Amino acid sequence: MTLFDRVFGGNDAVYGLTEAAIDNAIAQYGVDQAVAFPHTAYSLPCYYGVTGTKVSNLGELKEALGVVKTLMTREKRLNDAFMSGVATALCAEFIEVLKYINGATPYEEPCYGHLADATIRELGVPLVTGDIPGVAVVLGKAPTTEDAVALIKSYQAQGILVTLVGEIIDQLAEGGMTTGANVRVIPLGKDVTSVIHVVSVAVRAALIFGNVTPGDAGNLMKYTFERVPAFVNAFAPLNDVIVACGAGAIALGFPVVTNETENIFRVPKSLIVQEDVSKFNATSLEARDIKIKIAKIDIPVAFASAFEGEIIRRGDMQVEFDGSRKDCFELVRTRELTEIEDHKFTLIGPDFDAMEVGSKQQIAYIVEVAGKAMQSDFEPVLERKFHTYINCIEGAMHTGQRDMIRIRLSKNTYEAGFRAKDLAEVLYANIKNEFDVVVDKCAVTIITDEAECSKLRQELAVAAYNARDERLDSLTDEAVPVYYSCTMCQAFSPSHVCVVTPERLGLCGAVSWLDAKATKELNPEGPCQIITKERCIDENLGRYEDVDEAVAKFSNGALEHVTLYSIMEDPMTSCGCFECIYGIEPFSNGVAIANREYAGLTPLGMTFGELASMTGGGVQTPGFMGHGKHFIASKKFMKAEGGVERIVWMPKDLKDQVAEKLNKTAQELYGIENFTDMIGDETIATDPETLLAFLTEKGHPALGLEPMM
Amino acid sequence: MPFNGKSGKFNASINTVEIGCGEKAIKIGGENVLPFYTFDAAIENAPKVGVMISDLGLDNEPAGVKAYYEGCTTIAEVAKKAAEMPGADFVCLKLEGADPNGENKSVEECIEAVKAVVDAIDVPLVIAGCKHVEKDNELLNKAAEAAQGKNVLILAAKEENYKGVAAAAGLAYGQKVGAESAVDINLAKQLNVLISKMGVAQNNIVMNVGSAAVGYGFEYVVSTMDRTKAAALGQGDKDVQMPIITPVADDAWNVKEAMASEADMPAWGSQEARGIGMEVSTAASVLASGSNAVILKHPTSVATISKMIKDLM
Repeated sequence: MTLFDRVFGGNDAVYGLTEAAIDNAIAQYGVDQAVAFPHTAYSLPCYYGVTGTKVSNLGELKEALGVVKTLMTREKRLNDAFMSGVATALCAEFIEVLKYINGATPYEEPCYGHLADATIRELGVPLVTGDIPGVAVVLGKAPTTEDAVALIKSYQAQGILVTLVGEIIDQLAEGGMTTGANVRVIPLGKDVTSVIHVVSVAVRAALIFGNVTPGDAGNLMKYTFERVPAFVNAFAPLNDVIVACGAGAIALGFPVVTNETENIFRVPKSLIVQEDVSKFNATSLEARDIKIKIAKIDIPVAFASAFEGEIIRRGDMQVEFDGSRKDCFELVRTRELTEIEDHKFTLIGPDFDAMEVGSKQQIAYIVEVAGKAMQSDFEPVLERKFHTYINCIEGAMHTGQRDMIRIRLSKNTYEAGFRAKDLAEVLYANIKNEFDVVVDKCAVTIITDEAECSKLRQELAVAAYNARDERLDSLTDEAVPVYYSCTMCQAFSPSHVCVVTPERLGLCGAVSWLDAKATKELNPEGPCQIITKERCIDENLGRYEDVDEAVAKFSNGALEHVTLYSIMEDPMTSCGCFECIYGIEPFSNGVAIANREYAGLTPLGMTFGELASMTGGGVQTPGFMGHGKHFIASKKFMKAEGGVERIVWMPKDLKDQVAEKLNKTAQELYGIENFTDMIGDETIATDPETLLAFLTEKGHPALGLEPMM
Repeated sequence: MPFNGKSGKFNASINTVEIGCGEKAIKIGGENVLPFYTFDAAIENAPKVGVMISDLGLDNEPAGVKAYYEGCTTIAEVAKKAAEMPGADFVCLKLEGADPNGENKSVEECIEAVKAVVDAIDVPLVIAGCKHVEKDNELLNKAAEAAQGKNVLILAAKEENYKGVAAAAGLAYGQKVGAESAVDINLAKQLNVLISKMGVAQNNIVMNVGSAAVGYGFEYVVSTMDRTKAAALGQGDKDVQMPIITPVADDAWNVKEAMASEADMPAWGSQEARGIGMEVSTAASVLASGSNAVILKHPTSVATISKMIKDLM
């Protein structure tokens, strides 16, 4: 027997029952007898939602059955099975509405049966806001009473709304569980047809909250699929009627998870066999893509940003993990969804108890993440948050990154019971909460074993960091398909827009192209939006029609043209949070750079503050521009005017910071070795004449370039 | 050469939003010109003036406000009297008693007040929360339910609680949603987009883009409103074409010019006159910057601003 046979068979059986029930009712009451569910403005909500027709009496109900029949096509295609499933559901609704004839009250405590519109509005709001993260429809009889109670309690703990159909209702009563709408466990009824009352909730949610027009079945199903996070748990044995109802659920976008193994056909993401009932919860949530927010992190000490700046002194220290002496590292790894088990914790090596008080130890933690929207480009963005997460633990201090970390744990925190698993829990909970858009599953491994730390550091971590660095190096403006805008600081600089490219990070120094990309993914309506780069006007200047349009849009018309690579022609604007400013030094045809930390005078006759006052505020000031420190060594640094060889002066501290990379860039672009030796600083000159003499002596290349003005 | 006047009307326009029902329903927005630029094109819906009443009663109100409501003992009577105030187009019930840091009234108690006011008046109603985001989430949900069928405006959905407030007001109970942000066009736009994405129709959204009393960082307010209108009209940006409502009374009456007693500041003159001055000048300024409605509390302010609007239209 195929799945089609079972669905069609079940559908036919229910149709037969429905027809008989309607005919009987007509014989008893006549065709004019009114039929309606109580407390709803939506007639028979499912039938009304699908067809747009309201049914008010038995005669119309009989006609409606004729419409249902037209859905029951019998070709062996998936759509026929789905439509037969829908037909089965509608038949169930007809059978149920007959129970309410003449104001009857067919359901008694604890069962609810039909739910009023007011209840839907009340439940709909938390569903829309995600306070109710999902709706479970549990149907049949669990293998044991304990299984039933455990499963329902697991959903309850997650805030999921549970509806019950069939024998599980008795099982819960037997297990002593309280049910009712107030505890989000709603027994609907004992007959399988009572499942329609939860379908009715989904349909009315689409009509009320989705503004779906009754009769627009396509949009109705789209809404239930996209916005109603429901799923079905059906216990074995499954008869054909339940299979047919299941096809209806799948048509609405609700996956069915069952422990039935006989005569069942697995359909990926839709009909899932999970023999272990204790895993129904995890399997269902994964199938329906439901993510549970972690409200409170379960660790023995406090977790709050108040502890972020806490210093742990040597004397208060239980143990120190020191990456400068021992092999330590922190790493985020992207895996496939099938490769990891969510919330799994593995400890390799001894726990903190086995470590001598005050000793230096090694530690490594690998946070494996998987998700449909996860990209390996986001790994460093996630990893960079570990610093904050660990610092927020009461009595923990974290510095550094990658394999140069240092972590101290206080004696008090250790004595409160804080162990490796708690560290793992902090990482897990924060990653899941903050990055829920991209992370579906997360598992944490902590390694304290010395040999294993050494081995993994070399084989896994360093290899991963190198691969990332190579990726960063290979990220050029030409190599990526899009750029990003950043308008994070428009609150105080209303017309400023940063165009963030791989080779020009935001001028604040805090938003790289990868950060912008991750920001867009995590917060689609946020400050970083995609800027296409398809219509190039002038490659040398970095002038694009797309960029101009985006800048005009995001500056609300204040700016019309911006070039990516020129300081003279339509330079990019500056907000006020730039790390550095560079400006033309006319005597040498070059530019001088001042960083924010530098308090003295520049050869331009101005301090950083004075330069800032004429550069900031989102205005274009040809000849002056704010930028991030990392931009100095970029091959796109004022590329249109010749590039980094124009740099003639910068403060000594800054020069030391950027020397290595800047020298490399100068070497690659012009074949100049030790370029920074030719660049002046405040110890050499702060007036243009002395600077010029120095540059002439060094043979600085800028002197031979075309004047910029 | 003769001067040829050029109309400054735009191709885009602000959404028209109707609040209330029946004859006294009001429409705000709809214009395709800058504020009061009636010489460029007719402005169909003049800016509207609302009267704020509080569930905390009249004890802390200035004498002129107390005098106006003299004899009113219940919130329903106060609401009725507010609805009759000369120059008023609508009433705003502020449920400030709900604030957990203040009286911490229960949601049920507040809803009683909502019901009493809904039954007492036939002018459009705006219901404002207590500004505590979590309490408002629950309170405004229930308020939207209690006022079903009255087409009220709920103030406000903020970034922290927009889902709950907008779902209840805009989807479940068919009210108008106020979207409140803090003096930043991008945040205002982002909130509008998020609320729209939930399925709330754009013409069911009204913005409160944030405000301040004149002289208190007010240039930020002017700049935000200017830019919002420029983006909505000049650039046709649909995500900021919602009309703007600005609650003025709270800001204006809570600055030192309005609060310093005459004993402390004898040179400043009458305290109440100062408060009215702050309220009137703030309201006039936000209207000139693009607000489509203001919420005031003093009868003199309401009369003054409604006359100003009438004279300018």
